[in-house]
Amino acid sequence: MARGLCIVGVNHRTAPVALRERLAFPASGLPAALAELKAVPGVQEAAIVSTCNRVEVVTGTSVPAAMVAAGVESFFVRVRELERSAFAPHLYVHHGRDAVRHLFRVAASLDSMVVGEPQILGQMKNQYVAAAAAGTSGPVLHKAFHRAFTVAKRVRTETAIASKSVSVASVAAALTGTIFETLEDKTVMLVGAGKMSQLVARHLQARGSGDIMVTTRTFDHAVALAREFGGLPVPFERLAEYLKHADIVIGSAGAVDHLVGPQLVQDVLRARKQRPMFFIDLAVPRNFDPAINDLDNVYVYDMDDLARTSADNTGEREREAARAEAIVDDEVERFGRWLAGLDVVPTIVALREKVETIRKAELEKALASLQDAAPRHRALLDALTSSIVNKILHAPLASLKREGAADDPDLAASVRRLFDLRVQERSTTNGSGESE
Amino acid sequence: MDLLLLKIALVAYLAAAVGSSLHVLSLTSAARRIGTAGLAVAFVAHGASIVLRSLATGYPAVTTEYEALSFFAWITVGVYLGVQVRYHLPAVGAVMAPLAFTVTLASFAFYAGVRELPPNLRSAWLPIHVAVAFLGNAVLALAFCVSLVYLVRERQLKTKRIGGLASRLPSLEALDALNYRALAWGFPLLTLGIVTGSLFAKHTWGRFWSWDEREIFSLVTWLVYAGLLEGRMVVGWRGRRAATVTIVGFALVFMSFVFGHVIFPGKHGGSFD
Repeated sequence: MARGLCIVGVNHRTAPVALRERLAFPASGLPAALAELKAVPGVQEAAIVSTCNRVEVVTGTSVPAAMVAAGVESFFVRVRELERSAFAPHLYVHHGRDAVRHLFRVAASLDSMVVGEPQILGQMKNQYVAAAAAGTSGPVLHKAFHRAFTVAKRVRTETAIASKSVSVASVAAALTGTIFETLEDKTVMLVGAGKMSQLVARHLQARGSGDIMVTTRTFDHAVALAREFGGLPVPFERLAEYLKHADIVIGSAGAVDHLVGPQLVQDVLRARKQRPMFFIDLAVPRNFDPAINDLDNVYVYDMDDLARTSADNTGEREREAARAEAIVDDEVERFGRWLAGLDVVPTIVALREKVETIRKAELEKALASLQDAAPRHRALLDALTSSIVNKILHAPLASLKREGAADDPDLAASVRRLFDLRVQERSTTNGSGESE
Repeated sequence: MDLLLLKIALVAYLAAAVGSSLHVLSLTSAARRIGTAGLAVAFVAHGASIVLRSLATGYPAVTTEYEALSFFAWITVGVYLGVQVRYHLPAVGAVMAPLAFTVTLASFAFYAGVRELPPNLRSAWLPIHVAVAFLGNAVLALAFCVSLVYLVRERQLKTKRIGGLASRLPSLEALDALNYRALAWGFPLLTLGIVTGSLFAKHTWGRFWSWDEREIFSLVTWLVYAGLLEGRMVVGWRGRRAATVTIVGFALVFMSFVFGHVIFPGKHGGSFD
């Protein structure tokens, strides 16, 4: 089997938010999880992409996809303490070309809930850096992620998909207009400092929202952010106390359990004489108990809800998406050639070396028994053997260069098996050796 | 002539109902214009019909079942058109226009020729009582329509099925505020309607209150709205609960109006004999 990518994971289409939040990896948990992954049989390289909308294990491997999938399933069972049946039906497995395409589409935000939103790229970059720091990424993942980032950049600059998209943030801001007639006298509260929630706050301020309160676990952080927004920092432990002043509450705090539950909101509503509240939950796991939505005059929207709401696409956006897909196809093709070359070049080198070693050894033996041979005859023998070897090698090497780099990624492996070649792992990881 | 004008109004109400409903579903502005124009045409034709009939009978045409229903539909549309100038409410129109159409159509069922007004009802109290009471009912009808739209909107938001963000239903806050305003106007008018009614009764029958079915109905209705106002002002009721009570209250108004004549024929409008 040739080396390649294999991706096992769930996203917003295959798994509900309740499962995604169980599987998700916070940044702090990545090194340990990556170390565990590296121990999965057949996994040579590993990275994890974990966002609100997806949890994916990206591996570089030479074994069949089914084996990687089984290993990753066991990994989830172990580190997430879940029954296999609870998540296995939601998993998808991509390998080879499909995996490359998938990775590129994710980076370019073509697989996102809201196509074209920019947040995914930054998250992927951070998570790739984490894999590199943990030493679990190798030449294949290195190249794959870097190409993915290039694809994202190309899609962003060469198509209008981003500007045509309705981002989750703008959808959330627009929803406030269906509840509140004016935002001028409304107070916004940020719980947690997620990028997306800051974006929503900016949208709301652009729509003329009033006061803003900021609370994060680290009070200094809240102070800094509040200064940025011209708002009021609130100590995290006094969240419940200040909640009654908030009309719009945006959650993006990292927390295992709900920060706000129905009982608290009921008390808060009584204190504010039932004036309506809008909870925007951008966190996974969620910050606000979904049961809050059952109370009168309170509306809770999580990531899934917002995405469903934004699903009004225009034809123009679809055309742009088609152009973006063409860019992805192009890049998948290039990556495929590189990946094939990754195996082909060392195979060619090894084959040459092996044959040359044999030739040299046999030549030495022959010359040893021809002690009185004239230097002219020695040179002739050397040239003769070289010529035979080169003539024989010409066809297989040409075929390797041609086919191996194109349609038959397994050819190099076959050649190695036929000639019993040991190819050492190439240590060049800095994107060199692109065979074009 | 008055009947012909009323038929024209009826057709215009139907056009308005179709237009404003189409507008809410498709958001096309042509449909909205049909809705508003239909209501305006209907209002003028309907008003002319009432004036002509009043001239023919020599007293305000609001006393028989037919006249009362017809007048109620007309004044309700008038209140809506007035409010519509300030608030942009095509969605409320989509509730209002079918209501006006139905009530006007129902009035036909009771249509009767011009009747002599019993002499004891010929009093200045008649137009005063009727104008105040009907205006109150019309404002409460508006509150009813607004509440229906509120409940639809609230349902959409709660179940997270927003029919596209472009949907032009007003915001919950605006609907709730308008509901409150309508109640703040409707309740005093309702109260005044009952007071003038009892003064009228004193003048006509010598008693302020005779516990007839219509009076009992009015009292219950008044208590419901009083409770709603109290809840809003003191407890802080709003939103879905306030909208639901508004709908219940108006159901009572409507029932006392329609069935008051038919099921419990008393001394009130149309059953003076």
